[in-house]
Amino acid sequence: MASPVQPMDLSWWQLAIAASLILISGAVSLALKLRMEKRLALASLRTIVQLGLVGYVLKWVFELDTLLALGPVFLLMIATATGAAIRRPERRYEGAARRAFFSLALTGLVITVTATRLIIGVDPWYAPSYFIPLLGMVLGNGMNGISLCLDHLLESFSLRRDMVEMELALGATSWESARGPVSSAVRRGMIPIINSMMVVGIVSLPGMMTGQILAGADPLRAVKYQIVIMFMIAAGTAMGSMLVAVLSYRALYNSRHQLVSDRIRSRKG
Amino acid sequence: MPGGSADGGERLLELSDLSVGTDGRVLITDLDLCVREGEFVALLGPSGCGKTTLLRAVSGLIDPLEGAVLLRGEEAPGDHWPSFRRRVVLIQQTPVLLDQTVEENLRRPFDYVSAGEAGFPGDRAVSLLGVFGVDESRMSQNARSLSVGQQQRVCLVRALILQPDVLLLDEPTSALDPESVRSVEEVFVREARQRGMSALLVTHDRAQAERVCDRSVELDPYLTEEARFG
Repeated sequence: MASPVQPMDLSWWQLAIAASLILISGAVSLALKLRMEKRLALASLRTIVQLGLVGYVLKWVFELDTLLALGPVFLLMIATATGAAIRRPERRYEGAARRAFFSLALTGLVITVTATRLIIGVDPWYAPSYFIPLLGMVLGNGMNGISLCLDHLLESFSLRRDMVEMELALGATSWESARGPVSSAVRRGMIPIINSMMVVGIVSLPGMMTGQILAGADPLRAVKYQIVIMFMIAAGTAMGSMLVAVLSYRALYNSRHQLVSDRIRSRKG
Repeated sequence: MPGGSADGGERLLELSDLSVGTDGRVLITDLDLCVREGEFVALLGPSGCGKTTLLRAVSGLIDPLEGAVLLRGEEAPGDHWPSFRRRVVLIQQTPVLLDQTVEENLRRPFDYVSAGEAGFPGDRAVSLLGVFGVDESRMSQNARSLSVGQQQRVCLVRALILQPDVLLLDEPTSALDPESVRSVEEVFVREARQRGMSALLVTHDRAQAERVCDRSVELDPYLTEEARFG
């Protein structure tokens, strides 16, 4: 039986070979006048710069290994994920960013601390070399879930206002009238992760697992880690979507059980 | 006219100095109106004069700009709006039904907290549907697959089985074909009056107001006139 492949560092030349694949794609685009070469070049440049910077920052934070160093990184990650989550929905309401930030921060913290402290048993629980990559995976999926969930919820309250008000007019409380839109918004937010979980390992190998296997880890060990990660991501997305949906519905009703739909603004309008 | 006048009834629903508006526009100002027990009152006015907005304010779906809505002399207190709306049920102009079976639609309001101990009166619902010409076999059919006219009949039955004190009717027969209007209106008014309900009907159809109501109030931004039928 072959021994496991040892982790290996990549030389700049090896990175250059990968970059040449992009250059070839750009050349084909140029020849066929597809006009995607500029965007491809910009995207490639951003990948190099962004990942390069992140690499240096992570190296610095990992070396510090303190809660104080982790704090600003945690806040920056949550703020960035919040920005991305609320930028995509076609509608918005005042206070959406605050509620998305709170939802991402709470679920990110609860899920990641559970993983580092209870599952993996890292000491200290905030060890940045574990905490940051795990949080990143929870947030990356959580922000997509929150974004889809908010988009669907605000669309329901705007376009299906008659349905909500029909329930209110028949004696429903604000929660009873919002339960339909809230549950369908949470289901919408969960679609990507549920789809991923359904085909994981069959259609594609997840990035983290692939990374571990390429770095020489035993595939079964990588699989165990990947299962933990998938569960973390699914739980984080579900909790984040539910939290943001409940907080948002409460922001769109008043104490007289009225849906105040003019609190919802369209981005186009 | 089915039923009769309710001159001597108790004061049931009172609109006191009520002003309503929407999108920053004032539509109706200082309206005073009293609907007595068992009385049917029509609010007549042209399109856009604020009739629908008024009914939405009366049912508490929106706040009035000024004034108050009283039911048996009391305003809906704080958190009790769902109970208030159950006693003052709004029926919208176009049928609004959940994407579920007819039975689930009729049952839904009995799942709300405001229903209290009241259980779903299945037999009464079936019998009322029959009176409106909707066959019992439709109970298990998706409500949205019915014709618009039948959907509106389901909405009327849904309101009647709630046994409200007051029905707020926003042109409830406008979704029906002209041949059905008279029969549906007759059945509805008869069933509502038999159960002692009162009604506030908004319409631009003066003939219907005369057929259905005891009196009417003309909604005009500059002039409010009252006419008594009978």
